[in-house]
Amino acid sequence: MTTTAAVDAQPVVEVEDLRVTYARSVQALRGVSLWVPRKGVVAVLGNNGAGKSTLLRAISGTLGQEGGTVTDGSIRLAGRPVERYGPSAIVAEGVLHAPEGRRVFGTLTVEDNLRAGGTAARSRRARAEAGERVYALFPVLYERRRQRAGLLSGGEQQMLAIGRALMGSPRVLLLDEPSLGLAPLLTERIAEVITEINREGTAVVLVEQNAAMALRVADLAFVLEAGRVSLQGRAADLAGTTEVRDRYLGMGAGQRPAPPDPGQRPVPSGSGQLLPPSPGQLSPPDAERPSPPDVERPSPSGVAQPSPPGAGQPSPPTAAQPPSPGAQRKGTAEAGSAVHELVVEDVSVRFGGVQALDRVSFTVTPGSLHALIGPNGAGKSTCLNVLSGVYAPTTGGVRYGDHDLTRLPQHRIAAAGISRTFQNLALSPGETVLDNLLVARHRYMRTGFLSAALRTPRSRREAAEHRAAAERTAALLGLDRLLHSRVGELPYGDRKRVELARALCAEPGLLLLDEPVAGMNHGESLRMEQAIGTVQRELGISIVLVEHDMRFVMGLADRVTVLDFGRRIADGTPAEVQRDPHVLRAYLGDLPGVTT
Amino acid sequence: MNEFLGFLVNGLSLGAIYALIALGFVMIFKATSVMNFAHGSIVLLGAYVVGRTHDEVGFWWAALLGILAAAAAAALVDLIVLRHARGADLGTLAILTIGVDTLLSTELTREMGTAILDAGAPWGTSTVHLGGTSVPLSRLVAALVAVVVVAVLWAVFRFTHWGVRMRAAAEDGTTAALMGIRLGRVAAGAWAIAGVLAALAGVFLTSFPSPGISPAAGVTALAAVPAWVLGGFDSFPGAVVGGLVIGVVTALSAGYQEHLLFLGRDLAQVAPYAVMFLVLLVRPSGLFGSKEFARV
Repeated sequence: MTTTAAVDAQPVVEVEDLRVTYARSVQALRGVSLWVPRKGVVAVLGNNGAGKSTLLRAISGTLGQEGGTVTDGSIRLAGRPVERYGPSAIVAEGVLHAPEGRRVFGTLTVEDNLRAGGTAARSRRARAEAGERVYALFPVLYERRRQRAGLLSGGEQQMLAIGRALMGSPRVLLLDEPSLGLAPLLTERIAEVITEINREGTAVVLVEQNAAMALRVADLAFVLEAGRVSLQGRAADLAGTTEVRDRYLGMGAGQRPAPPDPGQRPVPSGSGQLLPPSPGQLSPPDAERPSPPDVERPSPSGVAQPSPPGAGQPSPPTAAQPPSPGAQRKGTAEAGSAVHELVVEDVSVRFGGVQALDRVSFTVTPGSLHALIGPNGAGKSTCLNVLSGVYAPTTGGVRYGDHDLTRLPQHRIAAAGISRTFQNLALSPGETVLDNLLVARHRYMRTGFLSAALRTPRSRREAAEHRAAAERTAALLGLDRLLHSRVGELPYGDRKRVELARALCAEPGLLLLDEPVAGMNHGESLRMEQAIGTVQRELGISIVLVEHDMRFVMGLADRVTVLDFGRRIADGTPAEVQRDPHVLRAYLGDLPGVTT
Repeated sequence: MNEFLGFLVNGLSLGAIYALIALGFVMIFKATSVMNFAHGSIVLLGAYVVGRTHDEVGFWWAALLGILAAAAAAALVDLIVLRHARGADLGTLAILTIGVDTLLSTELTREMGTAILDAGAPWGTSTVHLGGTSVPLSRLVAALVAVVVVAVLWAVFRFTHWGVRMRAAAEDGTTAALMGIRLGRVAAGAWAIAGVLAALAGVFLTSFPSPGISPAAGVTALAAVPAWVLGGFDSFPGAVVGGLVIGVVTALSAGYQEHLLFLGRDLAQVAPYAVMFLVLLVRPSGLFGSKEFARV
């Protein structure tokens, strides 16, 4: 894949020391420098909140719509500075951006989606040619050209989103998470398509969570972390390093990640960096034995980076050390529900022709933290939805103590002491934190409408009790000072913790967490990690945690079940799972240097 | 029966005028998420320009001038007032347009004084006998024009690149901008078209059988609001159906007023809102509205 010619070619996009701020306060990019070789494929990797999408928005000139501004640095297209251009001027320069989440025009037909994409085409002929190329690349779009885009499957919508961007005959195509939510087979197809588009001469910037796929198709790769480039190098080399496994894929030494060492943080610097590492710099990767990072850091100097001001950068995680018992109020919110064993047995779920879960079994012992991980589309959320009663399994059973969860309606499952959080928040933004928490006390409230209206002594006593319970839970998660703030005004990380607190207010015996750190920046995710750890220690409840950030899971979980293609491919302690060859292959693909 | 048929035909033709106005509301709402309460005064402006100029340049040129003036005024409201408030919440934007409406209608009222202008349309006060009932010619022309306008709009949206861009921007502006679609131009274009529709409606709304062009026409135009809401805020077919329903309801409740005295006089003023209320009870998003938009 990596050809020297592609990596060494004149850069078509050069980003230098780019700094971006949202709403004049949140720094999303803190000095990012990277470049895209002409006709090359560049992968941009990093955890949620690292600034990947922001980078693409900055390049395509659409930051303004999200309230972001470029405060410093430059973006050059073929040598021309464009960081102050509006979106239509950028498009006219031949840079097309296929945004995250596909965003097809659902009420328009496939054909009209492509026509809208053809706005940027220079002439009628260019548009017609681009159209033919798109249909040749995606024959399924031709078959469905008269259908509304909203009726297409997820994979077809992704193809349409890519095709729509190709209608502008781009020199540079920016793809934001094209494989998000796609089944592995479709992800493969997308990878092929990217290679094919690139072969026709378009440079591609690929932002991906699926590192294995991205590193396979890319020539160069950059890893963003907390708004900075933390690693860069040839994609193939990067994929083999323990550095990438460690930091990005969570395949490290089996314990909690070390606190970021300020001395190792990259320091943005000048153009001297803008050279790919020569192959000699990279020793062959070693899958078995951890070795020091081989890949070039943007600035491997020992200069201490001044700690950046403002949000998102808390002190290094202290979670590795045992909690000081005095600091936490012990037993502040005793579980109101008994903690039972959860047994998932041979569960299969089928959507139409898609086998989302294929005879998955695992057992969650009472009081343990059980992680459910796997690449996108592995079936993790489906599994969680079965546990909370949103989906009924096609076959198999789920038992929680004496309850057969597959037969209970959702509110009865909640009454059995199971509560959950959602991947995308489901809070009432206009209400205060306290009121959001009190909603979860619903199943314990006995006061009727009339006695509440009359404020009888009993109702007042009950209200005070529930309030106290909500306050205790808030204190446990460090939300006590935010109780009277409106949820809509809180930063994302705090809102995620409010949702966790709300789930806890129901005093569950089993807590289901769906991607609790999705979309969080580094600092927020560390605080969430601590919060979950605290909850488990203090309350002794069972937790099932769905996550694709492997590193996050490894430090927390007692036991890990790994899903891929809807099947259980591994089950064991974090250390066992990390060494499992099937897991390595699912996350990294068949890469040179990874012996499976 | 004949009487009923007469009311029905009159109602449908009145409804065609309301449909033109409601289409303007929908157009603006879809393109810029603004509930444009200045629409009434733009209707009035269109009619006023026709009334002022038809003596000198003749009706057809006057109509063209009126249309251009209303289109330009609407586009300017967008460019001057609303462009800087993009992304503000619906309520704020709606109140901004109420402010614009107050300014514009006050100025027009000052210009007109107490005089009632005549639109000077060639169809004058003539009526046509249709199946045993008489209908003002102006209303028939209005219905015809509305049909043509709806057909042209449909074709433009369906087939032209401009229409595709407009629909794309209406559905997801942020993404449309990524294709190089200029949202500012799309928005101004949508307002201008709404202005054209408003001027057309203004001419017919002030022709016979109504007394002529007076500031009251701006208020009459707001009778299309229930049509817009009834149809579902963001639906073009909804605007047309809503307009027709409101037109017929108005005509029937005015026609059978004598039989409905127990509900009080001037029932025709209230009936559209009553119908809107009843429809929203059953279908909270209106007849054709999409759910998100109706949940404002």
